[in-house]
Amino acid sequence: MHPALKNLCGPGKSLKLEAPDANELAGLLRTGTARLHDARNTTLALESRFDLAYNAAHALCLAALRRMGYRAANRYIVFQVLPHTLGLGPEVWRVLDKCHNTRNLGEYEGLLDVDERLVNDLIEATAAVAKAVQP
Amino acid sequence: MIKPNMGISIAPPASTSLADALFPKVRQRVLAVLFGAPDRSFYANEVIALAQSGSGAVQRELASLSEAGLLTVTRQGNQKHYQANASAPVFAELRGLMLKTVGLADPLRSSLAPLAGQIDLAFVYGSVARQQDTAQSDVDLMVVSASLGYGELFGALESATVALGRKVNPTLYAPAEWDKRIAQDSAFITRVLQQPKIWLIGHEEQLHAPSA
Repeated sequence: MHPALKNLCGPGKSLKLEAPDANELAGLLRTGTARLHDARNTTLALESRFDLAYNAAHALCLAALRRMGYRAANRYIVFQVLPHTLGLGPEVWRVLDKCHNTRNLGEYEGLLDVDERLVNDLIEATAAVAKAVQP
Repeated sequence: MIKPNMGISIAPPASTSLADALFPKVRQRVLAVLFGAPDRSFYANEVIALAQSGSGAVQRELASLSEAGLLTVTRQGNQKHYQANASAPVFAELRGLMLKTVGLADPLRSSLAPLAGQIDLAFVYGSVARQQDTAQSDVDLMVVSASLGYGELFGALESATVALGRKVNPTLYAPAEWDKRIAQDSAFITRVLQQPKIWLIGHEEQLHAPSA
């Protein structure tokens, strides 16, 4: 068991132990890859591309965590543990963490403030996750 | 001028920073730790570790700063806890000085240094710049750059995040996007422009001139 992930595990904490499931993993990888692909479609609204790329990132990061036998109790933790699940650095996980906060402001406070730069950088970070998570 | 060949020749430092001109190294570091997070207290070993300096030198600084009333000392068991003294007459000035130098701006500036050629403007805003932050507050950073991406920026800022023990939360705009938001009077940008700032790259006058 990974020591840093083990510390995050337990009642009231961010992670739970749960054996990996091949169907679940395949489903997460499939939807993650499909949404990442569609996020690059520039005929869509920037907000839609942001949603697609953000949800792709969440699915792929969750897949990495589930494969190691953990389940997340909240959304943001899947991004924060990327250094431990896929060995990715701040240039990937901090971008996704920022987009998670941007997404929350949009979903809960109606302030979705995205520009081309953020969406492109989100897609790039998600592509790095997609590459690292492929078996 | 005739320079006699005698004594020890001391090479002048490459550049003297503001903090170096004002305070000896260890005092800078001790002040940066304590006035960088004035809402919490530190025990001596913590200050020694965070200041990355010798224990004797740090102990001497703690003693003289406490004696001058710049730090408060409380005893918890057999530990002495030191905290920036908010009622010291120069508290706000010293805190401002630390934020503009070793306590905040210097670590941020040095982490941005490799990217400086690509950055038009960079400043800290929000609760830290207003001096209303707590130890948990993020450092809000605004960066205007035509070519940088978030990935590169977060990669560079990691060293400052570790050095400051705080999350740095950058917002990045291309110059055109920045000008557009100022012109549109976007609520967020208007609020940022009105607030106190700690400048890292560029200066206040550049804010109101359209970026080149």
